Amino acid sequence: MLNLSLDKPGRRNALCSLNSSCSNEMMNRRDFLQSVSAAALASTTIARAAAPAVKPVRLGVIGAGSRGQENIRQFLRVPGVSVAAICDIYPPRYEQMNRLVGKEVPHTADHKELLARNDIDAVLIASPVACHAEHVIAAAKTGRPIYGEKALGFTVEDNQNILDAVTSNKVLFQIGHEYRYASWAQEAIRRVHAGEIGTPTHAYAYWHRNGDWRRSVPSPDPDGKLEHLINWRLYRESSGGLGTELGSHHIDMANWVFGEQPESVIGTNSICRYHDGRTVGDNVQTVFSYSQGRRLVFSSITDNAKVGCEFWIYGTGGSVQITIEDATIYYEKNSSNTPTADQTVSKTVVERGVVTGASYSTKGEMPYRGPGEKIVGAHSEDPTLAAVRSFIEAVRGEHSIFADVHCGFRAAVACSVAHDAVFAENKMLIPKAVQLTAAGV
Amino acid sequence: MRWRGSSKRWLAVGWLAITLALTSTAVAAAPSRLRLFTTTHSAMGTEFTLYLYSVDSEAAAAVSEEVFDEVDRIEQLLSNYRESSELSRINQNAGAGPVTTDPEMMDFLQQSEYWSRASNGAFDITVGRLMKAWGFFRHEGRIPTDAELGDLRAVTGWEKVKLDSARTVQFTSPGIELDPGGIGKGFAVDAAVRILRADHIAAAMLSAGSSTVYALGAPPHKTGWRIVVPGPLPSKNTLSVITLRDTSLSSADCSQKNFTVAGHLYCHIMDPRTMRPVEGRIQVSVVAPSATASDALSNVVFVETPEQSVATLKAFAPNAHVLIVSGDAEAARCSTFHWTSPVDATHCAR
Repeated sequence: MLNLSLDKPGRRNALCSLNSSCSNEMMNRRDFLQSVSAAALASTTIARAAAPAVKPVRLGVIGAGSRGQENIRQFLRVPGVSVAAICDIYPPRYEQMNRLVGKEVPHTADHKELLARNDIDAVLIASPVACHAEHVIAAAKTGRPIYGEKALGFTVEDNQNILDAVTSNKVLFQIGHEYRYASWAQEAIRRVHAGEIGTPTHAYAYWHRNGDWRRSVPSPDPDGKLEHLINWRLYRESSGGLGTELGSHHIDMANWVFGEQPESVIGTNSICRYHDGRTVGDNVQTVFSYSQGRRLVFSSITDNAKVGCEFWIYGTGGSVQITIEDATIYYEKNSSNTPTADQTVSKTVVERGVVTGASYSTKGEMPYRGPGEKIVGAHSEDPTLAAVRSFIEAVRGEHSIFADVHCGFRAAVACSVAHDAVFAENKMLIPKAVQLTAAGV
Repeated sequence: MRWRGSSKRWLAVGWLAITLALTSTAVAAAPSRLRLFTTTHSAMGTEFTLYLYSVDSEAAAAVSEEVFDEVDRIEQLLSNYRESSELSRINQNAGAGPVTTDPEMMDFLQQSEYWSRASNGAFDITVGRLMKAWGFFRHEGRIPTDAELGDLRAVTGWEKVKLDSARTVQFTSPGIELDPGGIGKGFAVDAAVRILRADHIAAAMLSAGSSTVYALGAPPHKTGWRIVVPGPLPSKNTLSVITLRDTSLSSADCSQKNFTVAGHLYCHIMDPRTMRPVEGRIQVSVVAPSATASDALSNVVFVETPEQSVATLKAFAPNAHVLIVSGDAEAARCSTFHWTSPVDATHCAR
């Protein structure tokens, strides 16, 4: 029996309980490359084959919905990882997890009960975003390493509180920004930072889908409790909408490219297609401002998937396209216009004159349509698998965490502000973390 | 050399008949508010179709999206065309050492191994390199040399895939490439049907390009879902009609992928034991409780002789129902195993 109070003011709490890093975004590029290379080396088959028997890592899971299950599936592909127990408030998840894990997994609806177990080495938190603060802070207090799904927190305050809890308890924390572990994304951004597309000034990010983003709800559901529990992404009090659930990945990537978090955001959203009672937009557009006038433009729509999921970095000398599967670099056409003196042709012009004619040529206005150069990464491993493998290696002390809590904060705090900005349709400032220096950054 | 049209025509014709029959009679007679909704989705190199009885289009759309999301998830697990799939990861790494995988992938590998063992290698997912050598990976048919085939023996063979209880898979011979083509769609259909059951769907049918279907429950006032098996004659007239309920059917035939050289047609279904395309079989249909099993078994009975198939079925799938057409269209022979529906003898001598 579900004992939910989703129709009461405390809906957010009811959803959550019922019974290297981005500090490296400030570091120099050489350190970053060393960090990535070490992680990549540790992740190769050769390195694993040569390593002694791995230290077991037993996971406790808070939130066993669709994303949590995908994370678990990937975790179980890492040698030595097992699932000790799960926490979820929706009972059908228990059987789903048993099937996924291949055995009966102890379960509870109370995250405190899960965290009180003594057979858990690390915690995966994949609950709805509005629950992250409660769950991450509680887990951090136990001192265990945490793999937390994005976005880090729901509100600005949540994000600050999570950052404080993780840093003050000195726990390992990895945010689920798995793009950071996609080899093609790593290589693409390495080349951007190396100057291959000149100075990157703009990022344009698209996450376009054709679907209502709605999950099936068992019938009957007389009070709509299951609707709000299962489709929490559709309601403003429990979800940051498309800008957070999808956009946080792209904001993190722009932060990675520009080496900082955005300063402000303007945006808008609407319900254009799915008038089904949802209270977040079924489309959203936001513009994030970075220093020196640099911009991230993000768009998400849910009734046309032509563009799909693409992240473009535009620089003065070229462009990079990063998708969930690959990356491609395009160079601007050579526009060199260095003055030359005393050319024979020029003298001829003086002697014979210039032929007059139509002045306008469309050539320069047409986009470059070359095939681009595919960027080859070190491996083709699924980004989520690469991310969770790296986390487990960090838990075992093999290297530091790349997508750390600071990465999570800088993307999530921008999401939190943008979530309000798209409704207010005003420019809003994005605060920086308080006492960030105390965290060693 | 030329490609014949890729086609699952012979069953697709049957699907049209099913749809028309159900929409015109069953729904009109249904006492409840249930209506038949049809949705399609491209995945695994084919088109999946879901026929679903639901109270309204919104509910049908929600279930349909879940079902096809699950199909997409399985495609990402098993695709040998995607470098980031779990199967590709195993192909890339299991030759160098044991690769830990998840329980679902392990289940897939164990089921594949089961049918390889049961069929003495007539079914084998280690044919990846063999399929490429014959040009069936990218639709560029070619005949490999005997020397090539000899070399490929070292990287073909289900016994060279070692599975263990710690959920690891390892190839004893580097260079093996797993190809899920003979079982993957069935595995996806089973996974999708679990979604339908979890959603308490009473009547639905899921078709993976018509080569594997699962019939869940029955349409209102019907005993099951009607499946038409077209015959081998050019007319494609009905060979047999079978009604399914809570079970699956898989069919295999040579018209799906093939190429012709010097008037000889080479079929995409390999006999891993001879390293060559199967000869002398036209089409098979297999009914079994799980779509994974029916899909694998359709390959088994396509590769084995009818006599071998009967022995395999008796030992390992005694509850299956099988219809086999051998020979050629002008002189086809039909063989059956527990196939209780009438077979039109004008198509074949039984």
